[in-house]
Amino acid sequence: MQGSKIFPTCFQTHLKSKLYSLLLHLKFCHHGFNFSTRSLHRQVSFSDHEAFDHPVACLLVVSSKDEDPINKFVDLFNTNQLPSLLNDGAMDPKILKHYLLVHDNQDGMSENTTKILAAMRSTFGSNDCRLLCINSSEDGLVEHQENPWVPHKTDASPSQHLGCFLNIDDLDEIKNVMQDLSSKHIIPHMEQKIRVLNQQVSATRKGFRNQIKNLWWRKGKDDTPDNSNGLMYTFSSIESQIRVLADYAFMLRDYELALSNYRLLSTDYKLDKAWKRYAGVQEMMGLTYFMMDQLRKDAESCMENAFNTYLKMGPPGQQNATRCGLWWVEMLKTRYQYKEAASVYFRISGEEPLHSAVMLEQASYCYLFSKPPMLRKYGFHLVLSGDLYKKCDQIKHAIRTYRGALSVFKGTTWSHIKDHVHFHIGKWYAFLGMFDVAIKHMLEVLACIHQSKMTQELFLRDFLQVVQKTGKMFEVLRLQLPVIDIPSLKVVFEDHRTYASPTAISVRESIWRSLEEDITPSWSTVKTNWLESQPRLLSKKYKESNVCVAGEAIKVDIGFKNPLQISISISNVSLICEHSAKSDEMVPDASSTTTAHLNDEEKRKPTTSGELSSDASSFTLSEVDISLEGGEKVVAQLTVTPRVEGMLKIIGVRWKLSGSIIGFYNFESDLVKKKVANGRRKTKQPMSDNLKFIVIKSLPKLEGFIQQLPKTVYTGDLRRLALELRNPSETSVRNIKMKISHPRFLNIGNEEVMDMGIPACLEKKAKFVQSDAHTRINKVSDTVFLYSEDTLIHGGTPFLWPIWLRAAVPGNISLYIIIYYEMEDISTVMRYRTLRMHYNVEVLPSLDVSFQISPCPSRLQEFLVWMDVVNRTHSESFQVHQLSSVGNEWKISLLQPIEAIFPSEFLMAGQALSFFFKLKNGRKSVTTEDNVSSPAPLEGTDVRLGHGSNEELFDISRSPLADFHHFERVHQRMSDQEHPHKVDFILISRPRRSDSDPGLNSSVNLFSHHACHFSIANASPIWWLMDGPRIMHHNFTASFCEIRLRMTIRNSSDAIASIRISTFDSIPGGSPLSDATSVPPGNQAGWHDISLLNDIKVTSEVLGTRVGKSQLAECASPFIWSGSSSTRVKLEPMSTIELPLQICVFSPGTYDLSNYNLHWNLLFSDDEGNRGAGIRESSGTCTGHPYNLTVLQSA
Amino acid sequence: MASTACFMIVSRNDIPIYEAEVGTALKKEDAAHQHQFILHAALDIVQDLAWTTSAMFLKAIDRFNDLVVSVYVTAGHTRLMLLHDSRNDDGIKSFFQEVHELYIKILLNPLYLPGSRITSSHFDTKVRALARKYL
Repeated sequence: MQGSKIFPTCFQTHLKSKLYSLLLHLKFCHHGFNFSTRSLHRQVSFSDHEAFDHPVACLLVVSSKDEDPINKFVDLFNTNQLPSLLNDGAMDPKILKHYLLVHDNQDGMSENTTKILAAMRSTFGSNDCRLLCINSSEDGLVEHQENPWVPHKTDASPSQHLGCFLNIDDLDEIKNVMQDLSSKHIIPHMEQKIRVLNQQVSATRKGFRNQIKNLWWRKGKDDTPDNSNGLMYTFSSIESQIRVLADYAFMLRDYELALSNYRLLSTDYKLDKAWKRYAGVQEMMGLTYFMMDQLRKDAESCMENAFNTYLKMGPPGQQNATRCGLWWVEMLKTRYQYKEAASVYFRISGEEPLHSAVMLEQASYCYLFSKPPMLRKYGFHLVLSGDLYKKCDQIKHAIRTYRGALSVFKGTTWSHIKDHVHFHIGKWYAFLGMFDVAIKHMLEVLACIHQSKMTQELFLRDFLQVVQKTGKMFEVLRLQLPVIDIPSLKVVFEDHRTYASPTAISVRESIWRSLEEDITPSWSTVKTNWLESQPRLLSKKYKESNVCVAGEAIKVDIGFKNPLQISISISNVSLICEHSAKSDEMVPDASSTTTAHLNDEEKRKPTTSGELSSDASSFTLSEVDISLEGGEKVVAQLTVTPRVEGMLKIIGVRWKLSGSIIGFYNFESDLVKKKVANGRRKTKQPMSDNLKFIVIKSLPKLEGFIQQLPKTVYTGDLRRLALELRNPSETSVRNIKMKISHPRFLNIGNEEVMDMGIPACLEKKAKFVQSDAHTRINKVSDTVFLYSEDTLIHGGTPFLWPIWLRAAVPGNISLYIIIYYEMEDISTVMRYRTLRMHYNVEVLPSLDVSFQISPCPSRLQEFLVWMDVVNRTHSESFQVHQLSSVGNEWKISLLQPIEAIFPSEFLMAGQALSFFFKLKNGRKSVTTEDNVSSPAPLEGTDVRLGHGSNEELFDISRSPLADFHHFERVHQRMSDQEHPHKVDFILISRPRRSDSDPGLNSSVNLFSHHACHFSIANASPIWWLMDGPRIMHHNFTASFCEIRLRMTIRNSSDAIASIRISTFDSIPGGSPLSDATSVPPGNQAGWHDISLLNDIKVTSEVLGTRVGKSQLAECASPFIWSGSSSTRVKLEPMSTIELPLQICVFSPGTYDLSNYNLHWNLLFSDDEGNRGAGIRESSGTCTGHPYNLTVLQSA
Repeated sequence: MASTACFMIVSRNDIPIYEAEVGTALKKEDAAHQHQFILHAALDIVQDLAWTTSAMFLKAIDRFNDLVVSVYVTAGHTRLMLLHDSRNDDGIKSFFQEVHELYIKILLNPLYLPGSRITSSHFDTKVRALARKYL
């Protein structure tokens, strides 16, 4: 019990209580901080540079049981036991002493005590001695409400039963003694000392003279080396005296006095460069200003000054700086300047990590308290302090601060901040062994796309390490790795719609539905009639939810995306499904009772359904392992195959990341609209219904594909393919129908074709029986084929049927085929199913064929056909085989022998060639009913274009060619009106047979090009032809020459035509028709100059006479039309008439008999006229055809 | 050019919509999050200061150790924040003004949703070029 310092403690507690009350506001635990501040204050007290903590009085206490109390008292204040500061002169050793004798009443009241007291009084003076009796309680069982020493000594352990012998009187007595001591001795002593010191200071320092002297004196000391840390100022020096005076004044709350003395002192110290003392004085000045509650600026500047001065001193001043800073902070806090307080805390935090960690944490709380609260600063400083805590292995503190920061940074979009906080907190939790929480935090940072590759690796590696350390399988809902691409989710299931290939699935449902329309029965017809024994009306439930068949897999395509730059591996990817037996209302049958026992075992929670197919007997799941490279996206196809009837629900997907952590994804929880392959369901249906399936009893399912379908073909390629259908189940299917979307490309063949090669089935046979009666297919319409009733497919045996493919036009063609079939077993819910097949064929251009038809000028009903063939391929060469005109109406023949125009036989790549043909109407009977377009009776005429005469011509009236030709006709139809004067051509070519393998593809390929609807009609429906002699010999000396001509007129229209032929001997000058005759303007008359060198050999004398006559031509017509100048005839439709014409020629020469007009007028019956008026002309005028006649003078 | 500089555009809702490390110093692994922390904390100061002045350029408003935060607040309260260690107020001001123009051009894009992340690579190169020019 040595240096008592009652008053300094009083002051300190005064300020501290403020601190406490403030800090108690904090809901955070601060015990540690308060404790540390208090011990800091204790540690930095009793320094030599300030007199604040210097003892004012000393209380010497000796027990009455002591043998020699008087000596003990003397001994206690022996110099060699005193603190060094007292001994070496920094403190004044002559302090007030008070002697207290403590008597324990438990030892009994003895006279000895009074004797000792008397002796003390005689030795030390009667005023300074007292007796204190304690422990007067009899039984020692006094229970105090609380430990009476609590406010003063916190480190006493509460378990010690302190003061159990003290009764209430004793406590009062103790208080009295202490109050007596302070009020009667210490305060008067201090007041006394203040008075003395003040007088001294006034005498030496106050007044102008003293100040000058002092200044001069200090100047003189400038030269002395700076030894501020040395004991330059003893207690007896004037500076120390002033300091003591000021401190005493401060303690007794005479702040004015204290301040004036501190000011005095601070200038002195500053001049002396005694920095530590200067700082101490500044600190006290700041406190004094604060206590006076004026001049806040001054208080702060003093504190800052002191703080900076302490810091300037380096390490020895660090603790003082801290103390000063804390005072400063408390001052600011009292004034609610939290923001400034925080910055001061930040300044206090120095190099030492733990120290600054504590200070930064305090700073963060200050930011929290500031108005408005600066939460972001709060979080930031907490993180800073947490990092420092971690640096000195205070993991728990670090976690505490980070958790505080997390409340700010939760859900932040500042990615790096979020990652940093979560990752570190997770790592530290793992360090403490709290793996659950650790993993929860680490999960947050897994999908760190923005981080560098190295960081991503670090995160993932640490995370996996933590997971491995736990030794458990963690199941995490919504694991962020990999990212599930929900928009790519696609569910494919097969109810009555089945798909042959994955490409068929991706085709839009509307395409299939439009194709299916006319082959599937509508729902209403399924009900059939009311008499049906088993009224299997499909319940509403079936219609609304999805139906799938037991044993058939439901495929779910899910996209997995790796957001990171590093590769990750996921394994055991599978669906989570829930299967329940049917409820009664759904199935009217009694079948529910049999499946009821499954109910319990299948009703599992979605999260526990992690067990795979091994135990789940009601469905089978597939598992996929995927490895995702950085940034890669993979679509995995997962399947679930229900085994028994009931309800199947797809709940979600699960996977294992890097073999250590299991992730779940629940589809239902996601509200994103999903694209589902089958578009039958309505949009208003909730998502959960989309993933719910009613599983029905297993049904037969046809599998089908087209054998040898090429990916790429050339235009016109005609080949036979085989459609293979297979039914793996034993139950057979019947009533098979097939529909093809593009009959122009794909057509069904006859069964017997199956075994024949291409040319074989097309070769002309002398006797060919149309075997339509035996065929097993019926063509319902152009595109629908119905197999005969007895076609049953079952037991896995393949059923082959020929299919013809003809690439009609170049381009990318999607071919859709739907096969409809019904179940043999009619007791099933599903009566029919369809198989959907889809193929893409790329068609390259091969031969371009174009036709041009012009009427033959010299013959009635004959035409010239100009066929251009261009080989558009890059490498192929073709052999043109034959050209056929379709129908028996037309006969076609080559104008020149084929060897002459086409010597090479092969059409090379890029080569173009022209052929000329003569087309002649071979139809004898003139009937009007021929213009019906019927596909079947195709008979044509063919021209062989190939060189080898041994090759058979193909019969274009045979099945595939005729069928395809029909579709071509339908497709190439230009107007709705059928015109009889149309001709269709089919060009058949074959690719060049390569010499190396002549056997292989020799018989495979055949190309057919169809060109339809070439009009052969003229503009006018009237045809005529002048017929007569071309060269006449006549003796003009005898008489003029009469020549008879014949005009054949044909009405090719379907209406009666009235025709008028008007002849004129001279061409009317103003007639616009004159131009059409191409008569030279000089020769207005009927005859004119013909360049004789061109066609006709004329003898020289004829030339001479003709020239001579030419002058006559001006005045007289060289010939005249005899007979009537106008003839009118009526012509029936499609009929021919012959009219006689006659001319008279008066001199020899060559004459052009074109000076006549033909006026025609179609007489429609009423309805025909209305219909056809807009399309065809009903009347017209034609000028005559040139007809040259040469008349020679006969000998 | 400053050895350390981190430029960031923060939307009205305190969401970073663009960030770029434009300093010449080698990028340290932990610098990214430290810069984010400092800029994020500086938002508290911006929040106070933005309404006390009519100027858009708020100068250096916060500091952490030797790093200074300069802020430019647009009329739409989008904040352009620059963390730097050099003192070049004029350069920073011009930098901010030019980036502000670029940002307005981005806003004019009808396909850009205000407040969403700026992903334009053109913007990025322009900003980096400006940083080389002024900082």
